[in-house]
Amino acid sequence: MKKSHIALIIVIAILIGAMVTAINDSSSYADFSEAFSEPSGEFHVVGKLNRDRQMIYDPVSNPDEFIFYMTDIKNEEKKVVLHKSKPQDFERSEQIVLIGSAQGDEFHANDILMKCPSKYQDGEITAKDQSQI
Amino acid sequence: MTYSGEHLLIGQLGNTFTILAFAFSFLSMVAYFLADLKKDDQYLRIGRIAYLAHSISVIGMVATLFAMIFNQYFEYHYVWQHSNTEMPMKYIFSCFWEGIEGSFMIWTFWHVILGLILFKSVKSWEAPVMSVISAVQFFMLTMLLGVYVFDYKFGSNPFIMLLREHPDFLGLPLFNNPDYTEVIDGRGLNPLLQNYWMVIHPPFVLFGYATAIVPFAYAIAGLLRGKFIEWVRPALPWTFFGIGVLGIGVLMGGAWAYESLSFGGFWAWDPVENASLVPWLTMVGAGHLMLIQRKKGVSVFSLFLMVTITFCLVQYASFLTKSGVLGETSVHSFTDLGMTAQLAISLLFFIGLSIFLIVKNFKKFPKQDREESSTSREFWMFVSALVLLMSAFIISFSTSFPVINQIFGTNLATSGERIDYYNQWLTPFAIIVSFLVAIGQFLSYTKTDMPRFWKRLSISLGLSVIVTVTMSYSMSIYNPIYVVMLLSTSLAAFANLDYWARILKGKIKGAGPSIAHFGFGLLLLGILVSTSQSTVISSNSSLYDISVLGDDFDNNENILLMLDDTLIMGDFFVAYRGKRSEDNFIHYQVDYMTMNEKGVLELDFSLYPFLQLNPRMGNVAEPYTKHYAHKDIYTHISYAELEDKDAKPTSEEHSIVIGDTIFTRTSFMVFDSLDRNPQSSFKGLSENDLAIGAHFTLFDVDTKAHHLEPLFVLKDRQYSMTVPDSLSELGIKIGFEGIDPEKENFKFRVVEDQPKFNDFIVMKAIVFPGINILWLGCLIMGLGTFFSVIQRIRRN
Repeated sequence: MKKSHIALIIVIAILIGAMVTAINDSSSYADFSEAFSEPSGEFHVVGKLNRDRQMIYDPVSNPDEFIFYMTDIKNEEKKVVLHKSKPQDFERSEQIVLIGSAQGDEFHANDILMKCPSKYQDGEITAKDQSQI
Repeated sequence: MTYSGEHLLIGQLGNTFTILAFAFSFLSMVAYFLADLKKDDQYLRIGRIAYLAHSISVIGMVATLFAMIFNQYFEYHYVWQHSNTEMPMKYIFSCFWEGIEGSFMIWTFWHVILGLILFKSVKSWEAPVMSVISAVQFFMLTMLLGVYVFDYKFGSNPFIMLLREHPDFLGLPLFNNPDYTEVIDGRGLNPLLQNYWMVIHPPFVLFGYATAIVPFAYAIAGLLRGKFIEWVRPALPWTFFGIGVLGIGVLMGGAWAYESLSFGGFWAWDPVENASLVPWLTMVGAGHLMLIQRKKGVSVFSLFLMVTITFCLVQYASFLTKSGVLGETSVHSFTDLGMTAQLAISLLFFIGLSIFLIVKNFKKFPKQDREESSTSREFWMFVSALVLLMSAFIISFSTSFPVINQIFGTNLATSGERIDYYNQWLTPFAIIVSFLVAIGQFLSYTKTDMPRFWKRLSISLGLSVIVTVTMSYSMSIYNPIYVVMLLSTSLAAFANLDYWARILKGKIKGAGPSIAHFGFGLLLLGILVSTSQSTVISSNSSLYDISVLGDDFDNNENILLMLDDTLIMGDFFVAYRGKRSEDNFIHYQVDYMTMNEKGVLELDFSLYPFLQLNPRMGNVAEPYTKHYAHKDIYTHISYAELEDKDAKPTSEEHSIVIGDTIFTRTSFMVFDSLDRNPQSSFKGLSENDLAIGAHFTLFDVDTKAHHLEPLFVLKDRQYSMTVPDSLSELGIKIGFEGIDPEKENFKFRVVEDQPKFNDFIVMKAIVFPGINILWLGCLIMGLGTFFSVIQRIRRN
């Protein structure tokens, strides 16, 4: 057997190993009901900020905690504890993705991704001088 | 309604250029292909003219769009969408490529430039090489057509009028004005892109992407002609040129992220970043396989595979960023313009073409019967190319989760600890590659004299062991994997420097590889030190921390600074000194101080992290970094209250007896006694009035005592009124509101101002040691690569 064949076998073995671990290490997109049925697992939950409920950010007591309510795609609402500072412009977010896991009745997120509407839509028009519209 | 102010001519010009560029790319592709097939000079001439016409049209498109943005013709959708009057002119380039259309246009522009250079230099390879380049251009230009064929929109055209794209705007009063172009303003550029790095980084990366076309065109040409080896010589310097450009481009992206994004670092393994890194890795692999081919011969299959994979990965990168498939997983992908299918078809075409030609010719590939010695340079170069390919595959696999989800309907997502995940996986690869980079040049082709090899390497080995021990000791790097990487990367740096100094005797001629590899060693060393040793120094040490957190989830990486409070943070004392608004920026001044021997705080430096306010796109926090030679101190605002909310004073009623205590937020007061004959300074009392005073002793936080005496008054012995007393320095007011004779208790109302918490910032600060090693390594690597390219071109 040639050395290159041995090298090839090693390469394939490593690649398969990598794919398996990548899938094992991955988390998955889910809704709240799935995330809460498996509290140990890490999930990405997509949803919308509930603007009617209270948002609590009290940097004085803890700048790394921000509490709000999110409604997932299936319209289920949960209290979310984000272990980060409140993101800039959070109120304007149109869609959010939480990364974290369920703890009791709360969803504890370590990270958040937001989509802000203006970046993606154009439906507004402005004039150089606002009074002229 | 007819609009008088619209500049219609320039749009028609742009459209004409687009259609011409598209048509001529097709003509050039076909003519050049036939020229090679039929060996007919007539076709060759047609191909040349068509390619020149195509080039002129593409340059015309770029110039037209540029002129439209420069003149602010907001009646055009692209100009309206990506710029506005407020934007400083220096960012005009950023507007140009902010949209998919502009970015495709720059890419095709670079292809045109490369094609024009090749045109002159390809000689006997002209017909097939130019045919492939024209084919790529043809596919790219379909993305810019913006025409409808049977209800399917092909591409997106940057020269379209705003009202054509937005017929819904017609109802707006603005458009009742025939001269609306005098009034209308654009939507403006994304604030994140208003940055000097963003002016140069994307065109640079796109140029790097574009260079992948040259080795690809040569490889396809070789396959078409059945000449499997001859194409390598002219393609080789181009490949290394691409390695240099793309490598620097990718790291410029890192520099941008580090300087102006607030995720805290230079690399976040974002899908878009990965998409640009992966083709670089395989390009480096392809370049090295070509080197082996030139010296000793290599399996042509691996060579064709690596070169075509590189090109397809570049196309894949474009697919990932432009198709919208990444969706919410990436911060900087483009908006979906409905071109997903079109992009996928273009990508699949090139993958299919490569596979088809390789399979078709596979049997004809020259066989590699000779077994390489395991001490030969070519064997280890081949191994390193394989390692690079593997790391590219591993990065691509996780990056492709969104694509895999789309195809197989799965729900895979990269783990929340994405950065750790990738770092963990790629560290072993980095170690192997850096060891190979270290020994590579000391190995000889065919067979190495091992005793001499060890003797030559011994100095570098000794030096790198010393450096590893000192660094791991002084920076407390004890993780065995990191220690090994410290050794391998410092060995890579020393060995190549040593090779240059002693074996090449410090001559510039032929020094390219040594310099580039030295830079690569430094680069990896810088990545290791700055990434593994970066520390967040901003944990919350403020007095306001109520420490009931006890939550292991808590990452506690932010510090709250009230105006003018001084807190300890890492080795520093920090204070927030106030903010300053300038246009749409708010700059926050943060002083970093250290204590001198006398115990007095001295200002070291001030940082001004800022928020860029943009009501349309969202506010953006940008960091400010203090650079030292050996470390950086990086600071950004995590949160700041933008509106000055007036906190309402609290008002509370207390029913107490003599001797009781009222507690307020900042003090407590003891109700000492009643005074039926109060000596108040209140002038409004007459002899008919009955006044009762209440003596309070108030203790503030420093337990300093203050006296307060509110009065309860029966005016003319009939109407009750209260005369409150207050202590303005504490913002406390107390009123005597009533007497309950039966229960013998007294009613008081305490009104207390709430502190103004508005002026505070929540910020994060990170120390990055040794990050300059990284940037220096990158520069040296780029320089070395260009040296060797020049060397190669001269030799050719």
